[in-house]
Amino acid sequence: MSRKLLVLGLVFVLLVGLMPAASSAQEVITLRYMSFTGGGDRADEVDAIIAAFEEENPTINIEPANAPFGDYFTMLQADFVGGDPPDVFELNYENFVAYAANDVLLDLTPYVDPTIPYYPRALGAFQYEGKQFALPETFSTVLLFYNKELFDQAGIDYPAPDWTWDDTLEAALKIRALGDDIWGIYSPIQFWEFYKRAAQNGCAFFNEDQTEALVNAPECVEALEVMVGLMESGAMPTPAEQAGISDSELFLNGQLGMVVTGIWWFPAYQEATFDWDVQLEPGMKQKAYHFFSNGIAVAKNTEYPEEAALWAQFMTSSETAVSVRLAADWELPTLDRPDLFASYLEQTPPDNREAVFASLEEPVPPPVIARQSEMQDIFDELLNAVIAGELDPATALDMAKEEIDLLLK
Amino acid sequence: MSQTNQHIPGATSLALDRAIELLAQGVQYLLLIILALTMLVPFAWMVSTSLKTEEYVLRFDLIPQPASLDSYRELFDIMPMGRVFLNSLFVTVTGTVGQVLFSAMAAYAFARMQWKGRGVVFSIYLATMMVPFQVVVIPQFVLVSKLGWVNSYQALILPSLFSAFATFLLRQAFLTIPRDLEEAAIMDGANHLTIFWRVMVPLSKPVLATLTVFSFMSMWNSYLWPLFVARQEKYMTLPVALATLQGNNQSLTQWNLVMAGAVITLLPILIVYLFAQKWFVQGAVISGIKG
Amino acid sequence: MNAMIGERGIRRWGWVLFFLMPSLLGLLVFIVGPVFLSLGLTLFEWNLLSDPKFVGLDNFRELYHDTRFWTAFQHTLIYIVLYVPTVFVTAFLVALLLNRPLRGRAAFRMAFYVPVVSSWVAVAMIWRWIFNPRYGLLNFLLGQIGVGGPDWLFDPDTALYAIVIASVWKDAGFSAVLFLAGLQNIPDTYHEAAQIDGANPLQRLRHITIPLITPTAFFVLITTLIGSFQVFDQAWLMPEPFARRGATVIVQQIVNNAFRYQRMGYAAAMSWVLFLIIFVVTLIQIRWQKRWVHYDL
Repeated sequence: MSRKLLVLGLVFVLLVGLMPAASSAQEVITLRYMSFTGGGDRADEVDAIIAAFEEENPTINIEPANAPFGDYFTMLQADFVGGDPPDVFELNYENFVAYAANDVLLDLTPYVDPTIPYYPRALGAFQYEGKQFALPETFSTVLLFYNKELFDQAGIDYPAPDWTWDDTLEAALKIRALGDDIWGIYSPIQFWEFYKRAAQNGCAFFNEDQTEALVNAPECVEALEVMVGLMESGAMPTPAEQAGISDSELFLNGQLGMVVTGIWWFPAYQEATFDWDVQLEPGMKQKAYHFFSNGIAVAKNTEYPEEAALWAQFMTSSETAVSVRLAADWELPTLDRPDLFASYLEQTPPDNREAVFASLEEPVPPPVIARQSEMQDIFDELLNAVIAGELDPATALDMAKEEIDLLLK
Repeated sequence: MSQTNQHIPGATSLALDRAIELLAQGVQYLLLIILALTMLVPFAWMVSTSLKTEEYVLRFDLIPQPASLDSYRELFDIMPMGRVFLNSLFVTVTGTVGQVLFSAMAAYAFARMQWKGRGVVFSIYLATMMVPFQVVVIPQFVLVSKLGWVNSYQALILPSLFSAFATFLLRQAFLTIPRDLEEAAIMDGANHLTIFWRVMVPLSKPVLATLTVFSFMSMWNSYLWPLFVARQEKYMTLPVALATLQGNNQSLTQWNLVMAGAVITLLPILIVYLFAQKWFVQGAVISGIKG
Repeated sequence: MNAMIGERGIRRWGWVLFFLMPSLLGLLVFIVGPVFLSLGLTLFEWNLLSDPKFVGLDNFRELYHDTRFWTAFQHTLIYIVLYVPTVFVTAFLVALLLNRPLRGRAAFRMAFYVPVVSSWVAVAMIWRWIFNPRYGLLNFLLGQIGVGGPDWLFDPDTALYAIVIASVWKDAGFSAVLFLAGLQNIPDTYHEAAQIDGANPLQRLRHITIPLITPTAFFVLITTLIGSFQVFDQAWLMPEPFARRGATVIVQQIVNNAFRYQRMGYAAAMSWVLFLIIFVVTLIQIRWQKRWVHYDL
């Protein structure tokens, strides 16, 4: 009798002992998270945010992976095609449309906490056909970077927020005159720069319902002419004159007076041996500034939609996420929280970090269509022909319109 | 005057003949040297640049002063070069061994075995030799994608394991081997496997060596396929990794690093080539293969 | 046939399958299957992410009007016209030189083959460096002799020429070795007889060497031609972004459409059109060879 009891007792203990294990084994789920911003130095920051999330949500385990930007989208695509995509992943604004259009993203509308102060424009950027298919994670902009010492040498005032491109050209020519190896300005002549300049001149890329491209309107042509004018004046190097040295390299070498480039270069430009600062870009008829945004989306067929959406929300809006980002000077969260940005503004160089937020007043997001790569390639080709002097801006934009209209069908 | 010397009609003396002959030889040597230098100077340049430190990269001195291995160190810092190198090595060696082995085995089946349908199947092999790579690469990609094999070793190795051309060549080689050796082996109780391994293979060394070198070269240098099928650093091979070093206007191109990468990519294949040089030229001659 | 070892039936098939299967299976799965899949793909529009859409012959119609394709075709033709004769003649000359009993030929032969075994990625890097208009070796040397070098890979008009030069450099050795073999196959007796009859080297070249090298020349011509229609690596890797549009080639367009724009059907259609072109050109070559190829004197 006692033997039976002993056995029963053991069995009971075993069952009791196994049960929590069994139930917790059922409860802890693993989500795969893929990004293109979380590599290299940033991996530690991602891990910190994940740790905070896992502490708040002990039943969820996040497995991060990263790929460099250049390869990220081909890899993400491959994962989707192979039927095994990550549960949660980063998307930039330009690629968002294609993924949403192909119906592979989870509609996050039912999962999002409406009290989170996302910038309305940023939220809107990641909606498709009225549904929220991704949450805005970070934003970045483009500013005018300038070399204070070169400006001093040329005896001209630093760029002001109300400058036009004419003012800029004047300054650029004076700096160019400082030496054979010194250039006044670099502002790339390609798709990304063009649509913003067009917006600065009041020209819209597409019509209201995106069935027609309007890129050959007179305002757009004028914008392109101003862009090319910088190069034709001699203040900006032609590709052959640049001979493969990048604009950033030229700037860091002290050979470039002004460069229009993204705020993601802040960390790299810390290495400069001269004083530099940033300013809002010049405008034409009006001001318009680049608005680039990354978002986080969830795969439509994920096994754990609720948990995945929870993580997406955490990564984009939690206190931890925001503070980690700002402390590491790692892109800016798309949240309307001026209190949080105080620390960011205090870091130098550059001194004029307020310009980053000022540029949010007149943002112009990239024009995006489903056949994005083709559109960009078309533009690059035609713009390169303009740079080479083979096509004049008006003809080039006429040709662009024709081809893009075909892509829109 | 004997008829054995190269007598140019109309010349007046032996000495003049000799002089012209020497001159001709001299010119030929000169041409050869110039051409050979043209072939080799770019490589010398590459090695030289890889040994330069960053400030001296843009100068034209051939011998770097100071010479340093910094570029190599930095290269290994910014990229997992060790891993990439091993990937290339693993993929190439496996693929080469597999390709040569499978092709030899199939060649044996065609050359030494009688079976129904042999002619038809061989014609299929011949037909596939005509298919250009650009036609096949797209559906191969579709296949590999749908199987979920993108970014995997299978994707890098499997499609190259099968070469109709290698099978064709080896079949020709096997056909030329005299039967008496086999017959002797059969008398001693050998089966197909033994004959294959101990008779056919040893006697086809030149062709096998050539195919091995060409296969190695082709897989080691392969760029297009791995570019789209093995982008993840974990699976990247040397040519793809080297191409990513190139950068564009977005990032800073450091030529000394790029050249260091180029040296690392070229060294193994050069070593393999030097080793197999003897058979290589002979085999290339026999078969006229395109690499 | 006595090499059967006397097995019958299943045992024999067992052996046949053992030896044949790996190769045959792979061939069927990775080449034969894909050929048919590719043919089918040409009738669809498919980006792999959503479902394939049947479009019939629309891809071919679109191809007919695709200016980019025809520009790439034009560039490929220019490449062929410049590259093939140059590499042909260079290889032949090198082979003639290597055929002479000069000391150290083996070393020279090795030198010519080093570019052949190298990867195009590494070679493209080196040549991009050499062709750099401001910092590169070539323009520097040209400057030394007082010639202003063009912008090479930075200029859409000259990028193709740079690619041709690098390609000739890389491939000459390969064809040279083939020519060399062909030259060594010419029986010495012909040359000796001619010498006895008083022929000088140039005459021997014209009347013996050249006619008897034509079979090899034919082979070299065909392989070079087929290969040059399929040029890709150097055109993809060498030109600067600014000059790319001046050096696009057909295979590049196929790759762009398949892997960058995700248009599998359209790219497949393009690949078959290229195949057709190569096929026709090769047929013409084979017909034409009867006119100029001598298999014996």
